[in-house]
Amino acid sequence: MQTWKRMWARNGVGYLFLAPWLLGLFTLSAIPMGASLYLSFTEYDMFTSPEWSGLDNYVSMFGDDKWRNSLQVTLTYVFLGVPLQLLFALFIALLLNRGIRGVRIYRAIYYVPSLFGGSVAIALLWRQLFGREGLVNTMLGAIGIEGKNWIASPDTAIYTLIILLIWQFGAPMVIFLAGLKQVPTELYEASTIDGAGKWRQFRSITLPLITPVLFFNLVMQIISAFQAFTPAYIISGGSGGPLDSTLFYTLYLYQKGFTHFQMGYASALAWFLLVAIAFFTALIFATSKKWVYYQE
Amino acid sequence: MKAVKIGSGRLRLSWIHIIISLAGLIMIYPLLWLVSSSFKPALEIFNSTSFWPKTVTLEHYLQGWAGLSGVSFGQFFGNTFFLVGMCMLGNVIACSMAAYAFARLDFSLRNIWFAIMLVTMMLPFHVTVIPQYILFNKLDWVNTYWPLILPKFLAVEGFFIFLIVQFIRSIPRDLDEAVKMDGGGPIKLYLYLIVPLSLPALITTMIFTFIWTWNDFFGQLLYISEIELYTVALGLRMFLDAMGQNNWGALFAMSTLSLIPLFVVFIFFQRYLIEGITTGGLKG
Amino acid sequence: MNQRIRLIGLFAFCIILVFGIAGCGGNNNHESGTNNVSNNDNSNGNAASPDNDAASGAEEAEIRFTWWGDTKRNEVYNAIVDRFEEEYPHITVKREFGGWGDYWDRLATQTAGDNAPDVVSMHQFYVSDYARRDALLDMQTVVDTGELDLSQFPESAIDSGRINDTLYMVPKGVTMPGWAYNTALFDELGVDYPDMNWTYEDFQATSAEIYENSGGEIWGSSDMSGGQLQPNFRYFARQSGEDLFTEDGQLGFSADTLTAWWTMWDELRQQGVIPDAATGTEYENAPLEQNLFVTGQTALHQIPANQIYLYQQQFETGEIHMVRMPQLPGGDNGEYIEGAYLSITKASEHPKEAALFIDFFVNSEQSLELFKVEQGSPANKEMGEFVKPLLDPAQARAVTFIQETLDYASPAVYAPIGVAEVETAFKDNATAIAYGEKSIKQAVADFMSNADDILN
Repeated sequence: MQTWKRMWARNGVGYLFLAPWLLGLFTLSAIPMGASLYLSFTEYDMFTSPEWSGLDNYVSMFGDDKWRNSLQVTLTYVFLGVPLQLLFALFIALLLNRGIRGVRIYRAIYYVPSLFGGSVAIALLWRQLFGREGLVNTMLGAIGIEGKNWIASPDTAIYTLIILLIWQFGAPMVIFLAGLKQVPTELYEASTIDGAGKWRQFRSITLPLITPVLFFNLVMQIISAFQAFTPAYIISGGSGGPLDSTLFYTLYLYQKGFTHFQMGYASALAWFLLVAIAFFTALIFATSKKWVYYQE
Repeated sequence: MKAVKIGSGRLRLSWIHIIISLAGLIMIYPLLWLVSSSFKPALEIFNSTSFWPKTVTLEHYLQGWAGLSGVSFGQFFGNTFFLVGMCMLGNVIACSMAAYAFARLDFSLRNIWFAIMLVTMMLPFHVTVIPQYILFNKLDWVNTYWPLILPKFLAVEGFFIFLIVQFIRSIPRDLDEAVKMDGGGPIKLYLYLIVPLSLPALITTMIFTFIWTWNDFFGQLLYISEIELYTVALGLRMFLDAMGQNNWGALFAMSTLSLIPLFVVFIFFQRYLIEGITTGGLKG
Repeated sequence: MNQRIRLIGLFAFCIILVFGIAGCGGNNNHESGTNNVSNNDNSNGNAASPDNDAASGAEEAEIRFTWWGDTKRNEVYNAIVDRFEEEYPHITVKREFGGWGDYWDRLATQTAGDNAPDVVSMHQFYVSDYARRDALLDMQTVVDTGELDLSQFPESAIDSGRINDTLYMVPKGVTMPGWAYNTALFDELGVDYPDMNWTYEDFQATSAEIYENSGGEIWGSSDMSGGQLQPNFRYFARQSGEDLFTEDGQLGFSADTLTAWWTMWDELRQQGVIPDAATGTEYENAPLEQNLFVTGQTALHQIPANQIYLYQQQFETGEIHMVRMPQLPGGDNGEYIEGAYLSITKASEHPKEAALFIDFFVNSEQSLELFKVEQGSPANKEMGEFVKPLLDPAQARAVTFIQETLDYASPAVYAPIGVAEVETAFKDNATAIAYGEKSIKQAVADFMSNADDILN
């Protein structure tokens, strides 16, 4: 009895607050995840019962050129796109955090691209911008530069998707803004009295104090960029073309699962991705002690 | 001295204004294009290169709003408001509770649970779709909103937990002591200190839940098949068919309408974001 | 403390959102949902004979019917279902629909999740995946018991729904592919209309003429070297005396045939008569309203005949006409029956009611009066005559074309499991040639070995 009581005193409230999440974890998350882990060791065509195949899916994955290519495409997207997107989001958030007139309207306007989400309108728009006769080429033509078909050239198509990622920077921007709001104004006042310039204020006050949100944005954007699906799906029409240059990891996984009916193989691909994302996330967490400051 | 300073400040501000407006134009151009196209007659939408409609028509709005077989787009809007409202409620309550536990309470295995939470976000949803569908089908919840709402009340979206955790961790610990000295327990601490002070994060959670639920169509596509239960996202997909004709006019018109609530909610909620903690002050 | 008041305000906002605005709508829906479920539960009464369908004593049943389509088709099919429910008051039909891509994602999930609809729209491209994995009912059973009457269907149309002699689907409409062109554009360019029985050489010559007469502004046609295996390449293979696949699920065509096919397109590409690879890719997935043909950048376009009227609507001048797929001189006819089909799923608890619905859909005047040629010309011969006076000129041209080419059709083998993967390989290699990444020789070799791996 005594130990029970002590355990309750130590853990009770914590687990009470955690209860809804734990319930969700053990039902809604664990069951489907467990099932897909099992399926990754089977041959499963979705309509008939899965057949145990051991490590076959994982073994054939490493001999799959398309898989290797999709991994490469995704890594480019993540490690080029995410830093650029975050820099841009932070920059705009800093601009919009000042007391300029009409800032509310601007903030809403800057969020507009993200409101579109994965709408089909984006596909039309991107072709209008980066197609053979798109706006970008018209503008380049005006200054005498011959453009190219940005969206359909194997060497540039992925960059149009990275631009799309940067353009839809609304979510990290809002989070940065919310973080900037938590920086106590007294600190700025104090430093102004000390005669600190803007850049030094940013370096020594703003930046350290928003490292928790920066850290959050970095982790979350990396996790989600690894799983990016919709942009490539709508812009390449699900094909990942031209020449697989926009064949994102999850797009390939989707093709395997839903088009080729190889859900077992798709599950193996998914679990490999999970391990890869976990690796990079763990890396960021490991370094975070060096650069993330909490006020606690 | 003073006057000069203000003057140069103005000058710099106007530069910022120009940059911000120009960049803003790039951001908002697609929206303007969408709105303008929604008033163009069907054949003009893609054939004319002019931004302004040559003839303005409301036909797409009427046609789109009429919906299908007697179920109007108005019903889709109503359904979506219901769904989105529930999701917001669920996410704010469940995620802030879990976040509070992770950020402030001490219990065994805390770090392990937190790591598990992160891991649940790392599996692409395409491979969990089918097991999940089987699960909800067994519960006889297909064609209801439960598969879309229940996960929010069980804090399945770790994104928001993590977000709120980061904000709670930024709240100085000394404030906790003040509450504790007044004889408040952990529940009081949550309700009277943590929730009010992490308001910007909660608002952010609400905004994102609203927008993402509004736009998320894959889950809705799988679980909602009856037209009476259709949401706006599904209603919009109705106008598209890769193997046939697309009703672009109606799609653009209804997309325009569907962006209005998103816009309004964003503007409405972001006021709280701006004023968030600064006016309340840290001394609480 | 300001904040707490605000917070309460926010929660109030959510609650208003939930219960105020949408409460009434939401509640109604949930009630109607449960009603239907309870209807379902009543179904263990006396087994009604299928013949006195409309009789009041018939047991209540609910079936689900799903299709892909655009807004207009949704209206048409909903109206047909309404008429069916009037005719058979004891059967309720739940409707589920969506665009082409969404449709197949959802159907696959539902089938895997043991919740497939009773009546599903089926397509030749996907039927192998469903039928060969045992997801579809052998429809001969409901033909034998009399719910589904196929007596007015030509044998060839019925056969087109058989896989390994089992009837898995019934055509709601049959269609044939061909090449469409706009008369106005040809007149303007001073190019002769293609002949109904033109050859691949004629096709190349016409394309070149279009390109020249337009001063290089208009291409002959899109690049059809890759993309889908059928109809284009399949016709070519069949005309060469081969086919995509053999009866025992092996690749049915030779490397030579594939080489000839890709060489022909590569020559056109080298001459600039068809778009370069990047332009082709850019427009590959463009919606109908924005594709190369509709935007006036190509003059010939390969489509199924039932789409003639969709295309006609996109042009203010000229008529859309259609000719056969090009011929190989001295070769066989490539034609085989294509269409849009209806199947009953194996998991259906009400196969008889599902069959009654399909029977109504394909055989009754009430239905065909609305269907007309929505997804092809009705397969039922009587109904084919019945809809003729109801058609507009573009639809009538489609029916004439279908009936004329149907005479050339011969049976075609259904694809084995793995066809989607073979198609991906086909497409990848064709694109690689177009972008100059691979020589034709290497692409053919790569494809052949890849396809062999997949199929064995």
